[in-house]
Formats: sequence, C-alpha cells, structure tokens
Amino acid sequence: MLGKITYHKPINMVVFVNIIAYAFLIFKDKPYQWHALLMYCVVVTMICTVYCVIIKKKLGEGYLFLIVSMLLSIGIMMIYRLNPDRGYKQVVWSLIGIFVFFTSYYLYQKSNKWHKYTYFYIAISVILYLITFVFGTTINGARNWIVIGSYSFQPSELNKIIFIFFLACYFKNPDKLFIQKFHYDENVKIIVNRVLLMFVTYINIGFLVFQREWGITALFLLIYLVVLYVYGKGKYFFVINLALILPVAIIGYKFFYHIRVRVETWIDPWSDILGKGYQITQSLFAIGSGGFFGTGLGMGKPYLIPEVSTDFIFSAICEEMGILTGAAIVLLYMLLFYRGIKIVLSIRSKFERIVALGITVMIGIQTFIIIGGVIKLIPLTGITLPFVSYGGSSLVTNFITLGILQAISNCDFSSEGEFNG
Amino acid sequence: MAHALNQKGNGIFGGGVKVFEIILLLVKVLFALVIYLFIFGIVRLIYLDIKSMNISKVNINKGFPYLKLVNKREYLHFKVEETYILSKNITIGRYDKNDIVIKDSFISGIHAQITKGDSKIYLKDLGSKNGTFINGKKLEEGEQKLLKDGDKMKIGQLEFLFVEGSELV
Repeated sequence: MLGKITYHKPINMVVFVNIIAYAFLIFKDKPYQWHALLMYCVVVTMICTVYCVIIKKKLGEGYLFLIVSMLLSIGIMMIYRLNPDRGYKQVVWSLIGIFVFFTSYYLYQKSNKWHKYTYFYIAISVILYLITFVFGTTINGARNWIVIGSYSFQPSELNKIIFIFFLACYFKNPDKLFIQKFHYDENVKIIVNRVLLMFVTYINIGFLVFQREWGITALFLLIYLVVLYVYGKGKYFFVINLALILPVAIIGYKFFYHIRVRVETWIDPWSDILGKGYQITQSLFAIGSGGFFGTGLGMGKPYLIPEVSTDFIFSAICEEMGILTGAAIVLLYMLLFYRGIKIVLSIRSKFERIVALGITVMIGIQTFIIIGGVIKLIPLTGITLPFVSYGGSSLVTNFITLGILQAISNCDFSSEGEFNG
Repeated sequence: MAHALNQKGNGIFGGGVKVFEIILLLVKVLFALVIYLFIFGIVRLIYLDIKSMNISKVNINKGFPYLKLVNKREYLHFKVEETYILSKNITIGRYDKNDIVIKDSFISGIHAQITKGDSKIYLKDLGSKNGTFINGKKLEEGEQKLLKDGDKMKIGQLEFLFVEGSELV
C-alpha cells in the first residue's frame, strides 16, 4: 500500500517535502511561526490543483509540471525562510505564473500560424529593447528594469522566448527565410540569409551588452549556437560563428570593467575577499558549511551571502538542505532537460521541434550558467535559476515557456471527445 | 536560531541537546531521502514510458509475427506505431494498462486480445463497442479467430495487416 503511494504518485513526495520544510520553519523559533502553515497550505493546494488539472484534462506531459513543482516548492520555502515578505510575493508570482502557463498553453494551441510572424518577432524584440533603453532603470549594475509604480520587470526575459521563435522561423527552412521573391543566384540568397541571421542575433546581443546583462548575453549566444549546430546547414557557417565568439569575448574582456572583474574573481577570489571576491567566497563558505545534510532549514546563515534570494539561492539551498539536496536539484534539471528532448523527438512539425529544443536548451544552459557560477566552476554572471530564484519576470517567463512546451507535447496526439466506452 | 528548539529538546528529553541533534539529523536525512525518492519515482515512470515506446522496435528482425499499420500515420491525430510485434499475449485498447495503447476514441478501453497458442495467433474481441473486423467480417464478442498471413484487421479507425513472421513457418 505504502509502496503504491510513494512509487506511483511522485506528487505525494512533493507534498511530503513541503510538510518537512514548513515544520522546520514553524518550530525553529519561539513563538512558533504559524503563518508558515498558511504558506504551506497555499503552496500545496496550488501544486496539487494544477497537477490534477493537467492529468484529468489530459494536457499532454505530466512529468514536466511534476518536476517543476518540486523545484518551485524548494524555491518558495527557501525564499520564505530568507525573507517572509519575498516569500509571499513569490507565491503570488507563482499563481500569476500558473495562470500564464494555462493561458500560453491555450493560446499556443489555438493558433497554428506561429511560424509566419518572423518580422513581427524581430520588431517586437527591438521595440522591447528600445523601451528598456529609454525608460530603463539601473538595478544592481544592469540597466534592464522597467519600473512602473512599485512593480518592476525585465523585458529581456521575454526576449528570450521571442528570440527562440525567431530562430525557429529561420531554421524551419534553413537559409530560405529572407529575400525569396528576388531573382538572385541561389548562393547569393543563402549568403544574404546567413548574414541577416547573424545580424539579428548580434543586434540582440549588442542590446544586451548595452544593458550589462552578461548572463543573458551568454545564454542567447549559446542557444543560437546550439540551434545552429543542430539544424543549420553548412559546416563552415557554424565554424565561423563559433570562431566569432573569441573576438567578442576578448573585446568584452578588454573594454568592460565588469567582465574583467568577474573573470579575475573567478580565477582568484581570495586575494580581495572583502571587496570584489566577497560574493563568491561567501557562496563557497555557505556551500561548504552545509555538509551532506545541511544545517536544517532556518538554522544556517545564508543571509550573509549578497543577492541570496535571486542569484545565490543555490548556495543557500546547499547550506541549509545539504549538498545532497543541491545535487538533487541538478538531477531535477537534468530530468527536465531530458523530458524536453523527448518531446522534441516525438514531434513531426519542424517549427515546433525547434521551439521545443530552444526552450529545453534555454532551461538547461541557464541552470548551468548560474549553478556553475555560484560553485566557481565558470565566471559568475547574474542570471536566475529557473523556477527557483526569486523574481516575478523570470518566473512568469519560465511558466510561459513551460506552457508552450506543454502545448507542443500535446499537439500530435490530442484525443478530442469520447464517443464510446 | 536554534535556541527555541534546543530548549524544547531539553524540556521533552532529559538527555538534552544530543537527543535533539539526533532527531534533527534524522529529519534532515528524511528530507533528502524524500527528494531522492521523488527523483527515483520520476525515473521509474520515465523508464516505463520509454519501454512502451521501444518494445516494438527491438524485435523487428527476429521473425516474430507482427501487425502493420495500413492507414497513413500522418492523418491520425493520436499516437500509433507503424508496426506492433506480437511476441507474447497482448491486449489492445485505449486504457494505459493495455500492452498496445491506442488513444483512438473509436477504440474501447480494453478492445481486443491477441493470444499465441501452439505457434498460431488468435484474435479475440473483448466486448468492444464498435467491434473488431477481420477482412470485413465482424467478430462476435468473445469469439476467437485464427489469424492468417495477409489478414486485414480493423479496429476503430485503424486498419492493420497481419504478417506471419518466419518464426511460425
């Protein structure tokens, strides 16, 4: 009986993890924190309801949301422990995110013309960049926030999705997107197409560099290269693109103080431990002090790390829940990535296949960049850990991508209506 | 931070901080364990998923009899394989517990059964609503019929061609 519950319904495990975590949070201090119980109820109700809706309504893949619900609940409990106010906000953002998840699911299934809006995608992304450029506010060294009243959001998060859609439009028929009406030689057409593709990509990257968004810049570049590698035609074009990274990186290193600091602290954070190396060394101390099973939720000192609820949430999780939980999170992302690739393999339409691949690769690379950054495997760049980090725009964007992936996974074998038993 | 808990530990267990620490450790271990159980649960589900996906492709060359889809797969809006290998007794239907799961709304939950007996293949209708047809003839409920090479089997919207592999010859 017990075996049946635990094995066949992993959703019970998510509930159980939440019970243990909020028990920690309730009883860690006297007087007991009973409003943590409320948090628990809201989170668990939210996750179970959505899971039931997905299963009962047969909205395709059940695993995607299952994995995400585990990541989401670990993120919420950690943020709530670090800062209760942010915890409440994160729950509200999750509710909005879930609403957006279903909306994007239905919107994506409603229309089958997503591959026709190429110029629209380019225009929208440029407009978003220009809006950020004009009305943007600088928060934490990156000029990428738009503040309206007490709310702020990052348009560059949305641009990730738009860029993936653009890439899918282009690679649906590789090198045959632009100037098909003109009567040029085929080779000339292909070259013009490729130049235009690189032009659009580097415009994106240029705007992002201008906003000092190093993490997302790297993300765009890597998504572009992966999609090009998988679906592009012509070996030399890929090699040229790959080779172009080198001068871009060197220019970045020479001319941008920020990048130089990041690389220097990556190589040796200990020489300036109270200044430039403070973030990364605190993160390493936190991960180290956790041990295998962590200090217990609410009993460590993760608040010593700067930016702990956004960029460094992985270190906080490692400190309070142990390196085993940290490894489990990496495993969860691997499973998510694997499910995404499986969806990619099962679809016939090329456009949707590329969109699904782009989304899957985006989640994978984003995880690698930030987890690699906080454990000092690669230079640290500020980017959010999908579904775990605090942040409204990032969470909502991730839920949009998840909704699209869910819709794609359900495209081919939707069984409509039941005529008999 | 942990003061309140420490005091509580002292209050309940005369043993003091040590007992409390052991309980804390156990709870932490349990926490990590549950997360890993969750992962194993998902891995298991994925394993079952892939197994059902690839089972037909592995034995294709071993000479087993098989069912070949006659319909064009592109026009169907549900998942169906090109061939289904009949290496053991199987059931066909819409429910997930069947060996061949086809989410066609004209196929019943448990639609038909294919049994293998003394190197012959039999088809049996398990009380389906829209019937099972062999070469255009409807099978009665519970009726068992021997399948011969080249027989056309129709269930739901789908039509299959039965091919005897070299194993039976």
